[in-house]
Amino acid sequence: MKGERGFLRENSLTIAFLAIFLLSLGGQALVGHSEFNHDQLAHQDATISLSRYLTSSGYWVDVMENWQSEYLQFTLFIFGTVWLVQRGSTESKPPGEEGRESDEDQKIGEHAQPDSPEWAKAGGLRTLVYSNSLLLLMTAIWLGSWFAQLVTGRVEYNEAQLDHHEAALSLWQYAGTSDFWNRTLQNWQSEFLAVASMVVFSVWLRQRGSSQSKPVGEPHASTGAEG
Amino acid sequence: MRRALLLLLALAAAVAGCGTSDDRDQARAVVERFYDALRSDDAEAACAELSESLLEQVESQTQQSCEGVITRFEYDGGAIVGAEVYITNAKVNLRGGESAFLGREDGGWKLSAIACKAEKGKPADRPFDCEAEA
Repeated sequence: MKGERGFLRENSLTIAFLAIFLLSLGGQALVGHSEFNHDQLAHQDATISLSRYLTSSGYWVDVMENWQSEYLQFTLFIFGTVWLVQRGSTESKPPGEEGRESDEDQKIGEHAQPDSPEWAKAGGLRTLVYSNSLLLLMTAIWLGSWFAQLVTGRVEYNEAQLDHHEAALSLWQYAGTSDFWNRTLQNWQSEFLAVASMVVFSVWLRQRGSSQSKPVGEPHASTGAEG
Repeated sequence: MRRALLLLLALAAAVAGCGTSDDRDQARAVVERFYDALRSDDAEAACAELSESLLEQVESQTQQSCEGVITRFEYDGGAIVGAEVYITNAKVNLRGGESAFLGREDGGWKLSAIACKAEKGKPADRPFDCEAEA
């Protein structure tokens, strides 16, 4: 019992966000189904069941377009913070430390600690892969979900095309449509604004107790300090 | 990473193709029955494949019953060469160059437009020219 409580406490951030993720995904399914059927009735078309909706591109395109933009945001943020800085921000290294840093700073190869991850100690290809593993995973999920948005977006787009007695588009043709790029860019712009806001706001503003904020009394010019 | 990628690809594949194989067969069967009925001059059977809204459209446009007018439209016909299904809409293409559009209704697939031909120019940007459509 004590062990379970310890696990929940030590992982509460992940668990809480996964829980609200699942609740939101479920909520989106219910209201998305209702909206889909509302449109169907407005077009004098047949409604579909919730289970059919949940396996349709109509649902997944809306999920995928948001996933891909979130993972692109993290991909760019992880990559960008290697080379770019913002003086005074909690999200940045101090100016002057731009770049991949030394093996000593990164505790790899001969500079690894006894409890460092095995692949950090191993050297060669394994350390190279492990040194970029966070960026690699985020990039893979971004590209995978963006491709899924393309596939599911085309199905939904073609449903409307056929409903209007127009021709369906190939995947390649759909990749050049304003529908695909509107879905994509409307999500990207909000992610980029959110990152820029977080980087800048953390210079001057504080949230006592948050790991994403400097300690309340930390000077504005202090960079990379987290509470 | 591989697991996440495989999951996403499997999801994309499932969603992209979900249910369409069975739906494609059903949509093709509707068009086959419709053209079979036209060939055998069975107007009643042909009209039974039309959606309610197409049936109303045909009758209001021609001021005649569907049975009285359905065989008089211009059809190129020919064997079915392909069928596409996207969620609740479908298009079946015939060798003669014309297509039929269908919508999924509570009772199954029904025709929403018949004897349709692509307009010249960019066909994806403008509706097909149909003999009758809802």
